[in-house]
Amino acid sequence: MASLMAKLYEKSFCLLSGLVVPFLTLLAPSWLTVSGVGPCWAVLWLLPWAIEDGQISALLAGLCLGLLLDGISLGTATHVPALMALGWWWGGLGRRGKQIEGIFSLGLLSWIGTVLFGISLWLQMALMQIIESGQLLISWGVYTLFSQALITSILAPVIYFSLIAIWRRKSAFNA
Amino acid sequence: MGSPKWAFPFRWRQLFRIRPWFFLIGVLGVIRLSKGAGLLDAFAYITGPLSPGSAQREWIQKGVQLENRIRLELLAEDNQRLREILDLTKSSDAGLISAAVISRQPVGWWQQLDLGKGRIHGIKNGDVVLGPGGLLGIIQSVTPTTSRVRLLTAPGSRIGVWTSRNKRHGILMGMGSNRPSLRFLDKDSDVVPGDVVSTSPASTLMPPNVPVGVVQVVNTAALPAPIAVVQLTASPEAIDWVQIWPR
Repeated sequence: MASLMAKLYEKSFCLLSGLVVPFLTLLAPSWLTVSGVGPCWAVLWLLPWAIEDGQISALLAGLCLGLLLDGISLGTATHVPALMALGWWWGGLGRRGKQIEGIFSLGLLSWIGTVLFGISLWLQMALMQIIESGQLLISWGVYTLFSQALITSILAPVIYFSLIAIWRRKSAFNA
Repeated sequence: MGSPKWAFPFRWRQLFRIRPWFFLIGVLGVIRLSKGAGLLDAFAYITGPLSPGSAQREWIQKGVQLENRIRLELLAEDNQRLREILDLTKSSDAGLISAAVISRQPVGWWQQLDLGKGRIHGIKNGDVVLGPGGLLGIIQSVTPTTSRVRLLTAPGSRIGVWTSRNKRHGILMGMGSNRPSLRFLDKDSDVVPGDVVSTSPASTLMPPNVPVGVVQVVNTAALPAPIAVVQLTASPEAIDWVQIWPR
């Protein structure tokens, strides 16, 4: 337990950067959108974290992010399962190291991640809506899903390389 | 002794000398007979720049606007008095809480606004949020100093409204897209595109007669009752301040 706390303390700066995610989600800058839909900041933060820090850490980070986002969003659908699954998957990929640190593969990973994230949210909301009114919300779901996946995958390489650079410099400074 | 000017033997030459006078008299005669043709036209042309023009039109429009505003206020007062007599929910502006929008996500997975006032300012779950243009949504959760609004477009948003022209009640349901759908309660709804949708004047949950939107498309074949698509009048993308109607 003590070693875990020490480890967390070492990483505290990197973890704190995760707090930017809910703030950016709330800020929702209107100039950074594709047809009104902004990027999925949680995916943008989780991708470098998972690749850098491994499976278990990414799973927990996914849980924390999911809880934070659930707190600031409307309604009862939850972000937690999608983000945990993405953290687990990307954490596993991280062992291969250099092979996936390409602009194209990062973009593709974040695109697939955002689509899965969106599908999980959309399924939950559509199921609730079917129970309430019998309608499936297909056009809105597809529109939001692909707009968000596009803007997220465009931003992903930029955010990935800047976050990784900041974290590595910070850990070198700590060591 | 010089000879007089008009000496007896009348000379046509002399008449000829005063011909400009004849001409003038002739012209004036034409003016007289035509009741001022030419003269008035010239007058209108010369005084054109001084005549009532666009400036005066603006004065009149301003006057009409003022008259309309006064009439609106008088009617609102009258309406208020009558509602009090009928013991219906009051529609006055008194008691409205103004709040700033601190976060705005009108498009995407969550259609919500976050406001900069919360429980300590007297806001409760279920309070109605109004903005320029009409009804925006319902307060869905409250923290001590912030509150979250479920916009009318959000999935799961449902409020009771009616069309004021033919007094048909329906439920406005958020579908995620920009335009919520209005599900009528009667089979015979008789609604056409262009009908104004507002909150019901007899509602106890909502402020009465607040505009919500305009019917754009009606699907009369829908079962069990017609469904209309409504274009909202308030646009949450551009609103910085809202007003909360506490129940």
